[in-house]
Amino acid sequence: MYITHLSLTNFRNYGRLELPLPQGVTLLHGNNAQGKTNLLEAIYYLATSRSPHTNSDIQLLNWDAAQADEPLVVGRLVAQLAAQTGEHQVEMRLIREKGRNGRSGRNNRSGRNGRSEYSFRRQALVDQRKVRLMDLLGNMRVVLFLPEDVQLITGPPNGRRRYMDVTLCQIDPIYCRTLSNYNKVLEQRNALLRQLAEGIGSMDVLPVFTEKLAALGSRIFARRATFLQNLAREAQRIHYEALTQGQETIRLAYLPRLEGNGNGRSTTTSNMEPSENWIQTHQADEKGIAKRFAQSLAETQPTDLRRGATSVGPHRDDWLMTINGRDLGSYGSRGQQRSAILALKLAEINWMETITGEKPILLLDEVVAELDENRRALLLAYVQKSTQAFLTATDPGMFTAEFLEKATSMLVENGRVYPDHQHKL
Amino acid sequence: MTTNALPQPVNRLITEFARLPGIGPKSAARLTFYLLRGGDEQALDLAQALQDLKERTQFCSVCFNITEEDPCQICADDGRNPNLLCVVEEPLDLLAIERSRAFNGRYHVLHGAISPVEGIGPEDLKITELIERVKNGHFTEIILATNPTLEGESTALYLTRRLKEFDVKLTGLARGLSVGGDLEYTDEITLGRALEGRREM
Ligand SMILES: Nc1ncnc2c1ncn2[C@@H]1O[C@H](COP(=O)(O)OP(=O)(O)OP(=O)(O)O)[C@@H](O)[C@H]1O
Ligand SMILES: [Mg+2]
Ligand SMILES: [Zn+2]
Repeated sequence: MYITHLSLTNFRNYGRLELPLPQGVTLLHGNNAQGKTNLLEAIYYLATSRSPHTNSDIQLLNWDAAQADEPLVVGRLVAQLAAQTGEHQVEMRLIREKGRNGRSGRNNRSGRNGRSEYSFRRQALVDQRKVRLMDLLGNMRVVLFLPEDVQLITGPPNGRRRYMDVTLCQIDPIYCRTLSNYNKVLEQRNALLRQLAEGIGSMDVLPVFTEKLAALGSRIFARRATFLQNLAREAQRIHYEALTQGQETIRLAYLPRLEGNGNGRSTTTSNMEPSENWIQTHQADEKGIAKRFAQSLAETQPTDLRRGATSVGPHRDDWLMTINGRDLGSYGSRGQQRSAILALKLAEINWMETITGEKPILLLDEVVAELDENRRALLLAYVQKSTQAFLTATDPGMFTAEFLEKATSMLVENGRVYPDHQHKL
Repeated sequence: MTTNALPQPVNRLITEFARLPGIGPKSAARLTFYLLRGGDEQALDLAQALQDLKERTQFCSVCFNITEEDPCQICADDGRNPNLLCVVEEPLDLLAIERSRAFNGRYHVLHGAISPVEGIGPEDLKITELIERVKNGHFTEIILATNPTLEGESTALYLTRRLKEFDVKLTGLARGLSVGGDLEYTDEITLGRALEGRREM
């Protein structure tokens, strides 16, 4: 799959961009702060409906267009796609309106802490027809490489959960819908728990939301377990064969929050098998998972009522990578962490291709400069095999002449993009 | 859209219109100027209609539908099956089901759905009244026709638990209704089929 044309309106520092794009490798070069990262962000946003750099989507609107007194500001991202299933167009609109409070209700992700005289909403379109936001996902699939990817290993669990969700949602619309429903039920259940903690609300409503949470949550547990197992196998292979020449073995373990306890890692409360092993053998058994999940929801209910929040469930999942049996996040060297995360990302590419029969679009922001020769060679081999890849660099000098020969180079300058076919660098 | 350049009564009406759902400041101004330019009669008719809306309507004390007379026409109609009860969220849902002509029983309007996030619990809905009605009535079947949204389905699940103790068959609408959608906006044919294919809960 590849993008044939990208058009941006009022997105970041792009006032207006109409950009035909070729297959194969495109190198975006230019000075700092010109819009290279913003271009990759736009493509990523169309694939995932999220920005890798901000949670407040209103920031994506062009500053000059979004002047304070402007009553209506619309940002538009449109990509024409050539895919197995034919030609498609995916589009996202970012709409900021003045003085229309509350209309977008709960979808209003960023209005809450901003000045509330604005409402902000998003509108997704596929082939020029309005669709639900989640139906945009899966039309265009990308794998993004960032220098800070290594924080996936060293950072807090919410980043690792987001990684699972963003990746899975791109290929599994049912997962995406289940997740969205799960989050709504969780929000309702937590609101009720808070009310009950304050002595208001009806206790007899709680079982309703608990039952729904168990049904939806067990599907998420099951799907994540299968996903991580497949990804782990492939990552391990790449890491062992191509990155460490048979020297080191990584493992990736899913830590489902099926049981409650204090500190983030699930343990056995009774004489049951630990949930991280148990889930691997039971990933196909949704009913079994639902039963165990419902049981721990019942066990943790007194705690939940005290805290006013739900303490078990996929919203508190985690996963970890180990090398030779030790947690990479705590004990791995920087180099070991880099190799592991690279193996994971490359595995993601292969996994997507296996499932969909199509190579995802690769987005690499400044990552090449960070890698040593061996890792760089491996990554660039994947890039050159891809159907379409976008790389950014301030200095194209780091690429070999041979690599540049086969790539299309474009200069990014102050929110404009100039193809330079003869790559006169 | 309201400014000092306009007389206060004009500003006031614009403000009132703009508070209505689906109407922005521009449409509010357009409606106001339309009425301003039109004949006196039209504006007074509208004013009268608004007044009657509040003064001459009430909730039916049996089913809580909106009505001019209490009990409402449906509750007073002996021709309707007294053993069949259909529970809906809003009066507009009732209207939608009536339009489908697939149902000849009685109704109960809850006036909302359970949603702790919005602070709506069972005590804010006509649920006690429903239980009371079932206890004293002779219903053989109750159709829980809440919206196919998370809140609607949770409300149905809650009612299922509360109504289990009574000797009455509980059913829900068949799917085929667009999930996440509103009964109010469902076309008659789909709704008619969904009623026929209702399932036990
Ligand atoms: N909402 C916005 N509206 C207008 N300009 C913006 C907006 N958000 C960011 N920018 C501008 O975009 C520029 C950054 O672009 P970007 O991050 O894509 O740079 P880059 O080419 O990747 O640079 P570097 O090589 O430093 O990574 C900055 O000048 C920033 O001020
Ligand atoms: Mg950058
Ligand atoms: Zn009535």
